Amino acid sequence: MDFTFEDQQTAFRDAIRRFLMTEAAPEHLREIWETKSGRSTELRSKLADQGLTALSVPEEFGGIGLSDLDWVLVQQELGYYAIPDSLSDTAYLAVYLLTNMPADVALKREWLPRIASGKARVAVGHPVNPLVADAELADLLLLWHQDEVHALTPAQARLTFNPSIDMSRRLYRIEWTPSDKTRICPANAGRGLWEGVLDRAALAAASQLLGLAHRMLDLGIDHSAQRKQFGKPIGSFQAVKHHLADVAVKIEFAEPVVHRAAYSLARGHALAPVHVSHAKLAAGEAAWLSARKSIQVHGAMGYTWEADLQMFMKRAWALDASWGNRAFHKARVARFVLGNGAALGPDATFN
Amino acid sequence: MKMSDDEIFRLEVARWLRAHLRGEFECLRHRGGPGDEDAHPELRKRWERELARGGWTCVGWPREHGGRGLSIAQQVIFHEEYARAGGPGRMGHIGEGLIGPTLIAYGTEAQKRRFLPGIVAGTEFWCQGYSEPNAGSDLANVQTRARRDPATGEWVLHGQKVWTSLAHESQWIFVVARSDPESKGNRGLSFLLVPLDQPGIAIRPIKQLTGTAEFNEVFFDGARTAAENIVGQPGEGWAIAMALLGFERGVSTLGQQMHFAHELDLVCEMARVNGAASDPAIRARIAQAWIGLKVMRYNALRMLAGAQDGHLRREAMMYKYYWSNWHRELGKLAMDVLGPDGDVVSDDPTRTRLQQLFLFTRADTIYAGTNEIQLNIIAERALGMPKEPRFEKGKS
Ligand SMILES: Cc1cc2nc3c(=O)[nH]c(=O)nc-3n(C[C@H](O)[C@H](O)[C@H](O)COP(=O)(O)OP(=O)(O)OC[C@H]3O[C@@H](n4cnc5c(N)ncnc54)[C@H](O)[C@@H]3O)c2cc1C
Repeated sequence: MDFTFEDQQTAFRDAIRRFLMTEAAPEHLREIWETKSGRSTELRSKLADQGLTALSVPEEFGGIGLSDLDWVLVQQELGYYAIPDSLSDTAYLAVYLLTNMPADVALKREWLPRIASGKARVAVGHPVNPLVADAELADLLLLWHQDEVHALTPAQARLTFNPSIDMSRRLYRIEWTPSDKTRICPANAGRGLWEGVLDRAALAAASQLLGLAHRMLDLGIDHSAQRKQFGKPIGSFQAVKHHLADVAVKIEFAEPVVHRAAYSLARGHALAPVHVSHAKLAAGEAAWLSARKSIQVHGAMGYTWEADLQMFMKRAWALDASWGNRAFHKARVARFVLGNGAALGPDATFN
Repeated sequence: MKMSDDEIFRLEVARWLRAHLRGEFECLRHRGGPGDEDAHPELRKRWERELARGGWTCVGWPREHGGRGLSIAQQVIFHEEYARAGGPGRMGHIGEGLIGPTLIAYGTEAQKRRFLPGIVAGTEFWCQGYSEPNAGSDLANVQTRARRDPATGEWVLHGQKVWTSLAHESQWIFVVARSDPESKGNRGLSFLLVPLDQPGIAIRPIKQLTGTAEFNEVFFDGARTAAENIVGQPGEGWAIAMALLGFERGVSTLGQQMHFAHELDLVCEMARVNGAASDPAIRARIAQAWIGLKVMRYNALRMLAGAQDGHLRREAMMYKYYWSNWHRELGKLAMDVLGPDGDVVSDDPTRTRLQQLFLFTRADTIYAGTNEIQLNIIAERALGMPKEPRFEKGKS
């Protein structure tokens, strides 16, 4: 595969980055954290104006019809700015589910255009996660039941809010009764779809973790340039420099792994699930290391509520455990590596 | 079969705790440890007085100073039984473990008479005023100023301390302040005992990433303390301050280890209940954590045996580095054992404890000397390696 992105793709990423830099400053995130819903309709509609809700909705349904590869770059930015929103669940996961649903599913025609235009929020409930994110504000819930896909409105379910250490996560316990009326896709077709959702969600988490790792590194670099001890910036001490350089190495080496996974998903590569798990592990490791080193170079300041670092650390810790924690993804990689006939030799380097 | 004195002592401690850690104190079991300091502060102060009535505060202090004069072996037993019974985090630990021993070693007779009884009785609580906005790792850069009032001889303080744990629950603070205005670095400092409840002092809590506020900013704006509330001579503050840190590595480390052992138990219990214990990677890490705990225990016992001649041995310098890194890793293990919903808040007390453990241990390698500073100390003092440029004379 080719690891370079097209100019158009990086230009789009840069535009999103500039947009988030002004619209999602940490002070603003704190304000959103404090609101009851934890979400900002204003931010969401601005994200829609940027075309993000339409990104992978097929053109026939009013979208832009882009792929996993375009998403991966955007997700890194969403992570870097720790965007507290269900954008990815709605516009990436739900869109994937609905788009790939059998053609006769009426819901598809109803919801894809609404998602593309930024008018709908959709929450996705997958059995790998004990709770469902953003269920209360959703206009539609797409839920797993024995590999079937069910569609409900939040009013048809009982939702209980369950706070997280990461205040930007809005998690709900859902009690509901599956029925013929709620079922929109049978198990035989649903099974593959739910696997596809898991892979995309794990890839989204991996890309966001990479973005978060980057952000925490940048915060560490900033702090160590400004903070003086012994009459010098602490960043001039070798011990501090080495901490942050270690993080940079981890991030640098995780990035192509994440991009590789996106490429595999976009192309339907047979090993895409293994690539995704690898990506989630590599990005998760980078994010954990970045959190650990960044708080260390922050000193006591990093342990405060006031320092922005805590917002990004909490997001990273929570994301790392969602959509399959490290044990889950390691098991998927191990099953492949130890499986019969796994191609591991030199001629399989680029698999 | 006849029981040894130590065995009899162990029964006595356990029996006392069983009889007293109940009723209104029942809810304090296993509470108030690191990361949970804001749990029931008033009740925990009452608990200190309850302990005092039973003679269970300052158990290692000499009898002449109000302590129980226990041998090291018996102190170990006390801490073990205290932890086993779920004894709450000690509100009085800064008094009992840090300033008390410092006063016993360096204080005047009058200071001992004035301050030790309040610590022993659990009626006066202390906090540590070392760090300042510009004096963290570079503690010698303290800028808080103390000058004598020529009229009264009192010390008058101006400046600011930061990260002061439990200042909002304390009556007294020990302060490292610059008493020679011309001085730089670790000279010209004095070690002062200052009452917190006075107009010249303002205490502002600092919210931590846990959402609670255990530490504070303490502002001195003409705060006063009596002429005799100085430990050592003016200008000897640095030596006293460093000696106090040596006491941090005393017998209380054994109590801390018992606390760690209990936390490891909680991790194991959660792993058994939620199935994480069937994951080989988790099993290996739990085994590793147990090994680390044993390593610390043997080293602490050796360290205590060696400390009796008054000199800190090499392992004492290394101990903070070892335990803090071990504990930080235990916090991460706890989070991994909690699994896919590790970040989710619930009213299951074990889950809450493990989450607190995780969050609090993020700071372990920072307070009481960061990892980097500890490694510098080990390299320079224990190994005799060339000193960092910062220690050169004449440079600040
Ligand atoms: C939970 C908590 C409770 C605390 N309680 C108290 C208390 O009760 N009383 C009190 O006085 N203080 C307290 N502190 C403060 C604590 O002692 C300081 O945080 C610590 O000394 C580090 O100082 P700093 O935070 O200013 O970090 P800095 O000194 O700014 O250090 C930042 C980073 O730079 C590194 N660094 C600095 N200098 C060097 C060097 N020369 N070489 C290599 N690396 C270097 C550090 O290791 C660290 O990684 C508490 C801190 C915490 C987190």
